[in-house]
Amino acid sequence: MTQPDVIVVGAGILGASAAFHLAERGYRVVVLERGAPNREGSGTTAGNLHIQAIHTRRPGQEVPVDSARLLPLQLRASDHWSRIEEQLGADVELRRGGGFMVAETAAQEQELREKHEWERHAGIPTEVLTGDEARERLPLLSDRVRAASWCPLDGYANPLLITPAYLAAARRHGAELHPFTPVTDIRRVGDDYKVLSGDRSWTAPVVVNTAGPWITEISALAGIHIRMSPVAIQMHVTTRVPPVMHHLVQHIGEGMSVKQVSAGNLLIGGGWPAAGLDMAGRSTVSLPSMAGNLAQAGRILPFLGGLRLLRMWAGPLAATPDEMPVIGEVPGHPGFFVAGGTYAFTLAPVWGDTLCRRIAGEPPADPVDDLGPGRLLYDDATTPVSP
Amino acid sequence: MSAGKRVRPLPETVTVTIDGTPGQAWAGQSVTAVLVSAGIWSLRRNPVNGQLRGPFCGMGVCLECEVTIDGRPGSRSCTEHVTDGMDIRTATHG
Amino acid sequence: MADVMTESETDVAVVGGGPAGLHAALVLARGGLSVTLIDESDTLGGQYYKRRAEQLAVAFGDFRPRGTELIREVRDAGVVCRTGTLVWGAEDGGRTLFTSDVRTGVLGRVRARATVAATGAYERSLPFPGWTLPGVVTPGLALHLATMDRVPVGSRVVLAGTGPFLLPVACALLEAGAGIEALAELNHPYRPRPSAVAGALRQPARLAEAARYLLTLARHGVRVEQGARVLAAYGDTQVTAVDIAGADGTVRRVETDALCVGFGFRPSTELPRLLGCRTQPDRTGTEQLPVVDADGATSVDGLYVAGDCAGIAGVHAAGVRGQLAARAILRRLAPGRTPVRVAGLRRRARALDRFAALADRLYPLPAEAVADIPDATQVCRCEGVTAGEIRQAVATGWNDLHGAKAATRAGMGPCQGRECGHIVAALARRDEAEGFAARMPIRPLPMAATVEGQEVR
Repeated sequence: MTQPDVIVVGAGILGASAAFHLAERGYRVVVLERGAPNREGSGTTAGNLHIQAIHTRRPGQEVPVDSARLLPLQLRASDHWSRIEEQLGADVELRRGGGFMVAETAAQEQELREKHEWERHAGIPTEVLTGDEARERLPLLSDRVRAASWCPLDGYANPLLITPAYLAAARRHGAELHPFTPVTDIRRVGDDYKVLSGDRSWTAPVVVNTAGPWITEISALAGIHIRMSPVAIQMHVTTRVPPVMHHLVQHIGEGMSVKQVSAGNLLIGGGWPAAGLDMAGRSTVSLPSMAGNLAQAGRILPFLGGLRLLRMWAGPLAATPDEMPVIGEVPGHPGFFVAGGTYAFTLAPVWGDTLCRRIAGEPPADPVDDLGPGRLLYDDATTPVSP
Repeated sequence: MSAGKRVRPLPETVTVTIDGTPGQAWAGQSVTAVLVSAGIWSLRRNPVNGQLRGPFCGMGVCLECEVTIDGRPGSRSCTEHVTDGMDIRTATHG
Repeated sequence: MADVMTESETDVAVVGGGPAGLHAALVLARGGLSVTLIDESDTLGGQYYKRRAEQLAVAFGDFRPRGTELIREVRDAGVVCRTGTLVWGAEDGGRTLFTSDVRTGVLGRVRARATVAATGAYERSLPFPGWTLPGVVTPGLALHLATMDRVPVGSRVVLAGTGPFLLPVACALLEAGAGIEALAELNHPYRPRPSAVAGALRQPARLAEAARYLLTLARHGVRVEQGARVLAAYGDTQVTAVDIAGADGTVRRVETDALCVGFGFRPSTELPRLLGCRTQPDRTGTEQLPVVDADGATSVDGLYVAGDCAGIAGVHAAGVRGQLAARAILRRLAPGRTPVRVAGLRRRARALDRFAALADRLYPLPAEAVADIPDATQVCRCEGVTAGEIRQAVATGWNDLHGAKAATRAGMGPCQGRECGHIVAALARRDEAEGFAARMPIRPLPMAATVEGQEVR
């Protein structure tokens, strides 16, 4: 298929979701991926489904995210995720057992109450519990928990399964996936975009750039300058144990997420920074972040002290300078769409659906104009693009 | 044993319990050796498929030989040595 | 937040207390440098010089007393020996090593000006139906039971696989009172061929060694079958029988109570690979070895490798390589004090490498080893992943080794892909030998100390 309707660049979860929604809609889709699918941010992320309002900052994050703004999109995502296994005909180890966001201090408890108001306003079911009430529901929580926000819709899925499931479903609807096919150039040919990988090329009226941290690099090939602020974060996995925890546990005061996955391992993360972001290879883990993340998780869930750490890894997070997602058509470049930013895992079904509607000339299910790429554009081609 | 050299005393014996059953071993033997001598090859079940598993690599790499020693789960029987009164528990049920 | 990580500094850190590490530490310490030798086990010696427990040594004598001697020399030279200490991570080219006390879990950090990775090797397995049954073990396990514990692994033992290692194991089993039903060597290494004999004759000591083992086995009526291989193991709760295919193709079922199967050794290269050293495939094309110069210096400045982790070459090569790495470090860190006499050592290293190359030629891995694994046979023991599941993941066309791991969980278990990595890599059909990426922690790390909140500055 050298003249598809849409060329998707980047086969992480957003590219895969876009390819699925578009292909299901009847568009002819080609997906180009420089390496193996799901290798970067989408394959290294925690896999959390954030439905209750998210914590505003990762450790080391300077710009807080506007949590309230994202809530309607999270609610929409919740609906999508409830149907996703049926829709894709795949088991992605989806868990919707609910989640706690804990507070240890009075100030943090106040934050829980504030966000509870946003959630109520947005129609997301949450309850603020006392520490004792939280411990009654999840006895593994320590006495350090002063209060907790409970949301029955929080959960997680297996990031290693969802992207392949999207891609397989996209393929069944006729999409083509070309892994190990790096994009080397993008040229305008009339109203179309010609996307080259070495001496191979594909031409289409629409390009969807879902290349995560490489959104900048890919856009630049088309003469479009989009500023991204990728960082590297890390995850920690324990050896497996029999099932003891069925909820996602997060922290309002600082990035933390702990959950037990289907296989039985405990995954501990929260956006702690890795030692550095290596765009060319594999980013390295940071020992202080490991110590900080595990100590924090152990304060809240002391049973973790009896487990063994099995794996750690670092992966890129395609953050934007204002920490809000980016989605939409690039002004001045009709047909060139971008989707990315943080919380991409949770919002993937929403972004795939949004892109599909926009490409079909329909309005998205929820307003997203304020999240368009226009705000990230800069004209000066000589401005350094690395963060 | 070296032939024609001076007679050495046999090693000191210790008593260990395996799944509640007392048994004798030579002090300093590996827990694997004691289990194998007692004819116990199945030590645990694989958490994925429930299959019985026992010692394999003998050097601490494969982690198939894990048993609970003196209340410590996940103890490698190939790298630990018996002591008097040691309590060894396999996990082959369920 | 209580304790701080234990911190220590040394001129040279040597990771692994086997023959290579011991020789390196000794030369370094005698050369006037401060040395810290770190080993996960309670006692030094590694695999080859594994020490009999004291109570058993008193009764049965020391085993390979050269090991005890070497360890004493190392201690007497002032080497700081940190036994029961796991090196689970590293950074800065190995100049910072992260440790954990195996008993208490207390974390530590060792800073060094140079580091020698002497982490040895472990046995290579090739999956076959029934290989996960209790009672199916590596030859090395049987050897340790015999030599360390004086316990015969069984009374109707079958030894199989390939490699010079099978012979000393068989002899040790006999000495421990085991009964050997069969010894099935996959290749034909003991049938003299002109090229093999010529090569072996340049290593008379090794040739004599093999001859001694064969003689012992012959005296005990143990026939060394060549061109024979294990097809499948059978049993309910443990192995009771094994099918062996002879060189002529006939298959016979042998009753057994212990099946010891091994196909040589795999180098433990996690530490140098974690630190990003350049690697290249070994002679067999199945392992990635650090690229080194004649003294074991890797492409990472200040990081050296010695012993079997640098490529399987046996105990003598390990000692020589350990000394070469040590001398190279002395030239670098203590240039005034070094006796510069490495030409002889380098010659010896080359000669031993030639012998190792001969061994590789005499005991090749079967070309169809991986292709022959039935779909239903487990490849990843930890996660119970079958060859068929891995083949299915590869067949999607978009899964390389990492993708196959992500899709099937092969390599995600507690052994961290050590037992299955080479098989999954072969099934993923990549162009050159590849392994799962090395990541911290290099071994599963008890979290008690970290979760208690150790301060890391």
